[in-house]
Amino acid sequence: MTALDPERKRALFEATALPLTTALYNTALRLTGASADASDLVQETFLRAYRTFENFSLGTNCKAWLLTILYSVHINQRKRAQHAAISLPPEELETLLDEDVAGDDQRLPALDERWGPEVDRALRDLAEPLRAAILLVDIEQLPYEEAAVALGWPVGTLRSRLFRARKRLFASLEGYARATGYLRKPVRPE
Amino acid sequence: MTGHHPLGEEIQDFADGRLTPARREDLKAHFATCPQCGRELERLRWVKEGTAHLPMHEPPPDLPARVAQALDSEDRRGSHASPLRRYLLPAAGVLAAAAAIVLLVSRGPRDLPSAVGRDFAAFGRAALSLDTASDDGPALERYFARRGLTFRTRVFDLGMMGYGLVGARVHRLAGRSSALFVYRSRDDRTLVCQMFEGTLDELPRGGETRVHDGIEFRVFSEDGVTLVFWTEGSVVCVLVSDGPREDVVQLAYAKAVKV
Repeated sequence: MTALDPERKRALFEATALPLTTALYNTALRLTGASADASDLVQETFLRAYRTFENFSLGTNCKAWLLTILYSVHINQRKRAQHAAISLPPEELETLLDEDVAGDDQRLPALDERWGPEVDRALRDLAEPLRAAILLVDIEQLPYEEAAVALGWPVGTLRSRLFRARKRLFASLEGYARATGYLRKPVRPE
Repeated sequence: MTGHHPLGEEIQDFADGRLTPARREDLKAHFATCPQCGRELERLRWVKEGTAHLPMHEPPPDLPARVAQALDSEDRRGSHASPLRRYLLPAAGVLAAAAAIVLLVSRGPRDLPSAVGRDFAAFGRAALSLDTASDDGPALERYFARRGLTFRTRVFDLGMMGYGLVGARVHRLAGRSSALFVYRSRDDRTLVCQMFEGTLDELPRGGETRVHDGIEFRVFSEDGVTLVFWTEGSVVCVLVSDGPREDVVQLAYAKAVKV
């Protein structure tokens, strides 16, 4: 996009980016775990997006572009805050990968909206890179390629982490299904 | 069973529709004869289904106003960029950059009366809606605060003058956040008030300057509409109506407070 008249830039930004506030807020909330942090993250994302709006190609996926900024801001904030490492060490990720959940032939219950809080809880328990993969691909429905760009990973890494994340989510939700009686048969090794 | 077990990630590719048609057919045939891989596919789909039903949380009500204020600050910062920087805009060239500066000077804040007048007209033809309908002034002041306006708003009681409150919206006026509230008279005349951070220096020359009770008022008329501006601290207030000019001025006199 070429340099815009300030008023035109603001109007375009409001029409293109701001309608995505709810999607950004939900992703931010599930990344940070707190409403106030999510609001700060969304505000900073929009501000940075606005400053670089000339770099955005109208007609391309604005949500993917904003999520790229949001995730980058989030990672930088976490680094600055010197929190614990945001990524699990590779060996820990591999442990997750190797975990398998014993299954059986029993039919899985329908995961309707009543499961929302439980799915949210299971998501919160995921290591952040795994959670981020689910947020962008399964919830925000970004293609692998755009999600990988947003997260700053190669596509192969995204695919692998997405698989691990889904396996972990399955284990968690299946455990809940058994505990609540949705699945009754005892677990048996395959 | 048909062929070797695919890797888990390839089953995921199947679930996500990322395989070539030929490979997809291979796996389909395999799933038909391999319960173990069929279960893996079912699990992955089950999880995808679960995340599709996640509840969407509404953003806090003040978030849009916070974002708008952040963008307003950025706009103001941008408008104060050094003129040299504007000349360096690569595509525009020196003449175009100079023209842009002239344009910026002649528009923006200098357009305030026009912008306020346009809002009044837009409300009149139902092109500008209110966020909330209420005749409770203090409740509207709390509403503005909840929506993230950081300056103090004062929603006037004009009942004695025959005007009742209709409602309000958090608005944007010439690149800044504004508290906009609307009154209607018994004879169905509309009065719109806006409050926003700024000074009277931002108004264009022209218009009429009056002083009443030590307060400076700037009065403009555009297309049969009267606009009366004054300030209360760092907040600019403006009353707009298509009623008789002196009636609008007197309403402003009655409600303005020296801060």
